[in-house]
Amino acid sequence: MSAFFAVMRKELNSVLRERTIVIAILIQLFVASFSSTLLLGMLSMYDTDTIVSVGGANIAVGLVNDGSSWPQVQKLSSLLSAQKTRVTLFNSFQAARAVFNSGKLDAIIEVPADQAVMTLKLYLPPQDVKASFIRIILQKPLEAYENDLRLNRGVDINFTGLTGKPATSFEFAYSVILPILMFFPAFVAGGMVIDSLSEEVENNTLQTLLSAPISIPQLVFAKIGAALILAAVQCSAWLVMLSINRIAIQNAAWVLILAVIIAGILSTLAGLVVVFLKDRERSQFVFSLVLLVAAGGSYFVDLSPLKIISRLAVNDFYTSGWQVSLFALLFGLLALLLGRFSRRLMLRAIALKKEMG
Amino acid sequence: MGVSGNAPLITDSRFSVQQVTPDQGQRILQARAIDVFINGTNLASRPDDRSQYAVYALKLYLKKEEVQRITSAYPYDQSFPLRVGIYTLNPIPPSAAAGSNAGANPGAVSTTPDETIIPSLTPPPTPFVQVLVSLLYILPVTFISIFFTSSFMDEKINRRLTTLLSTPVTPLQIILGKMLPYLLFATGATTLIAFITHASVALAIAIFTPATLFIFAIYLMVPLFYRTFKDTTFIAMLVTTMTTAFLVFPAMFTGTSELAYLSPLALAVKMYRGEPFGWREYLFPSLPMLVVFGLALYAGTCLLNEEFLMAYRSLTRKMLDAVYLVLHGSRPSIAIPVFSLLLVPVVYLGQVVILVFASNLPPGVMLGGVLAAAALVEETVKSVGIFTLVEKGAVRSLRAILGLSFLSAAGFLLSEKLLVFLSISAVSQIPLAGILFSSGGLFLVPLAAHFLFTSLVCLLAGKTRLPYRYALLLAALAHAFYNYMLLLHA
Repeated sequence: MSAFFAVMRKELNSVLRERTIVIAILIQLFVASFSSTLLLGMLSMYDTDTIVSVGGANIAVGLVNDGSSWPQVQKLSSLLSAQKTRVTLFNSFQAARAVFNSGKLDAIIEVPADQAVMTLKLYLPPQDVKASFIRIILQKPLEAYENDLRLNRGVDINFTGLTGKPATSFEFAYSVILPILMFFPAFVAGGMVIDSLSEEVENNTLQTLLSAPISIPQLVFAKIGAALILAAVQCSAWLVMLSINRIAIQNAAWVLILAVIIAGILSTLAGLVVVFLKDRERSQFVFSLVLLVAAGGSYFVDLSPLKIISRLAVNDFYTSGWQVSLFALLFGLLALLLGRFSRRLMLRAIALKKEMG
Repeated sequence: MGVSGNAPLITDSRFSVQQVTPDQGQRILQARAIDVFINGTNLASRPDDRSQYAVYALKLYLKKEEVQRITSAYPYDQSFPLRVGIYTLNPIPPSAAAGSNAGANPGAVSTTPDETIIPSLTPPPTPFVQVLVSLLYILPVTFISIFFTSSFMDEKINRRLTTLLSTPVTPLQIILGKMLPYLLFATGATTLIAFITHASVALAIAIFTPATLFIFAIYLMVPLFYRTFKDTTFIAMLVTTMTTAFLVFPAMFTGTSELAYLSPLALAVKMYRGEPFGWREYLFPSLPMLVVFGLALYAGTCLLNEEFLMAYRSLTRKMLDAVYLVLHGSRPSIAIPVFSLLLVPVVYLGQVVILVFASNLPPGVMLGGVLAAAALVEETVKSVGIFTLVEKGAVRSLRAILGLSFLSAAGFLLSEKLLVFLSISAVSQIPLAGILFSSGGLFLVPLAAHFLFTSLVCLLAGKTRLPYRYALLLAALAHAFYNYMLLLHA
C-alpha cells in the first residue's frame, strides 16, 4: 500500500516541479476573466437595458408633427422620455433637419396622421456604428408604441406589463462561469493521466516502476489519485475566488464533490483510452473528441453534470445529493472496467521494447 | 416554473415546467420550489432576485410567443399596425447649405427607405451567429495544428533529429516541408466549410489563409519549447485558448466598432452578411498575421538546434537561450533595435491580457497592479536581448551596453509611435491606454525615460551581481511610478 502512496507523491512532485500546472491555472483564470469582460462588452453594446441603466440612452430625437398627428406624437414622446431619451417636437421636417445638421439631434422621426397602418420615417446619421446604437436604443419604445397601437385596434396582447430583473449576469455566472471553473480541472486531470501513462510506456520506464511491490492497476489508480487531488485543490481555490467576487455558491460541499467525481470519471475514461489506443497523440485526440461529443450531448439530457452543478449552486428545490450519487456510481463502474483492462499497458510496453531492439 | 389553466405552452429548454392546480401553484411558489407561476394569462412571482430573474427571462420568451399567437388570431395589418422606414440622412454643415447653387440639391433625401422594419419582428442586428459560424473555420485548423506539433515531437523522441540535421536539408526546408501537408489539409477544411455554409470559397480562402498561417506559426513554437508530454498539453491548451479569444473578441463588435477589424473573423461576418469590404479592412488583420508567420519561421530556423531542443531546462532559461539564438547571428546594433521594434505588438497583447486578469481585482488595487505589470512587460522586452548577449559574453563594454540600451529604447519608441498613428482613434482616446502607450508628451522625454530604465536593467543585470529578475523588478517599479506621475499630470 505504501508503494501506492509513493507513486502518488512522485506524480504530484513532478507536476509541481515542472510548474506547468501554473499554465493550467492561468488558462482557467484567463477564460473566466475574459468571458466576463466579453459579456460586459457585449451587454454595453447590444443590450438595451444595460445601456439605459448606465445612463447611456442619452440621445436626442426630433419628432416631426405635421399638425394632424398630435395624439400619436404625444404618445411616442412619452414612451421615449420614459427611458431618458431627449425629445424635441418640431412642426416641419425642415426645422428638424436644421437642428440635425447643427449636430444637436441624433435622429429624426416623422409621424404621419393616424391611419390603419402607421408608417413612421426614421432618419439616421450615415455612420454605421452610430446608426446601430440609435436603433438599439429606440427598439423598446417602438415596441411599446406598437403594443399601444394594437390595443387601440382591439388586439389583445398579454404579458406586456412584465418587468423583472435582467438575468444575463445571473445566468452567465451560474451556467457558464461556474461549470467552466469546476469542470476545466477535470479536463486537465484527464489530459494529465493520458500524458503520464503514455510517457511511462513510451520511455520504457514502466517495467522499472513495476519492480516495486505495486501492480499495474494500483499504479494506474495512483496516478489517477494524484490527478484527483490536484483537481480538488483547484476547484476549492475557484470556489473561494467566486465567493470573494460575491457570487454565492450554495451547497458548496456537494458542488465540490460532484466536480471531483466528474474529474474521476474523466480520468478513468482517459485511462481506458490510453490502455486501448496505441500512443499519446491518438489518445489525446480521441479523448478530446469523446469529451466534446459528451459535453455537447449532455445539454439535451436533464441529468447533465453541467446543469446539475448550476442547480446545486443556486439551491434548486429538486436537486440534491441524489443526483451526485448517480455519478459516483458511474465513476465506480468505470473504475472497475479500468482495473480489469489496465494490464494491456504491460503488453504494449513489452511490444515497444521489442520494436526498439 | 408552474403553469395551470390555458397558459401558453413553454418549450424553451431553459425553463423546467410543471402542470399544477391554481392553489398548488401559489403554495409552491411561496415555498420557493418554483420561481414563477402562470395561471392562464396572469403571472405571479415573488419579490426576491431568483423570481425576478425568471420573470425577465420569461418576458422575452413570452413576447415571441404572443407575437406568434396574434399572427394566427388576427389579420396581418391589425397584428402589425406599425412600420418604420429607415432612411440615411447626411448632415450638411450650414455654410455649405448657404453657398450651394439654386440648381444643385446636395441635401436631397431619397423617397424610398433603405429598409422597412416591424419592431416586434426585426430586432437590431447582432453578429453572434455569424461569429460562431466563422469560428467553425478556426476549430479544424487548431486540431490539425496539434498533429503538426506532434510530428516535431516524434523526431525528438525517436532521436532522429540529429540525423535529419546532419543532412544537406536546411532547417527552413525541414519546417516548411513538415508544414506543407497540414497546410493543405487546413485549406481543404476551409473549402469544405465554405461550401457547406454557402459562402464564396475563394473569398473564404483569402480571408482565412493568413489566420491559418498565423495559427501554424504559433503552434510551431510549442515543440521548440516543451520538455515533457505534460508541457505540450498545457502549452498547446494555452495557445488554443489565447488565439481563439483574440480572434473572437474583436469580431463580436462587427458593425458597432472599427476595432472589430483586428480579427479576420470580422471579415467573415461581413461576407456572410453580404456586405463588401475594402483593401484597408482586409490588410488590417491579415498583414500582421503574415508578418508573425514570417518571424516565426525565422525564429524556428534559428532554434532548430539539437542542443537547444534536447536539453531539459526551466522554461525561463529556455526562453533566454532562444532569444540569444535568434539574435547572435546578426550585428547587435541592428538586431537589438529591430527586435524591440517588432515586439511592440506582443507588448500590447500582453498588456491587454494583464487588463483582463486585473478586472478581477478591486478598483484601487487594479490601477497600481496594471501599471506595474504593464511596465514589467515593456522593460522585459526592451532589455532581454541585451541581457542575453551580455550573459553569453558577446557584448562586454559599458559603452556597448549603454549604446545598445539607447538603440533598444529608440526602436521601441519608434514602433509605439507608428502604431499609435496607424491605430484607430477609439483606442488612443482612452486616457489610461494613452499613458500605457506613451502617446502623450514630446518625443524626447519618453525617449530619455525609456533609455534610462532600459540601461538601468542592463547595467544592473550585466555588470553587477544582481539577478536579472530583480533588476527587471526595480526598473519596472521605477517605470510604473513614472507612468503614474504622467497620469496625475494628464
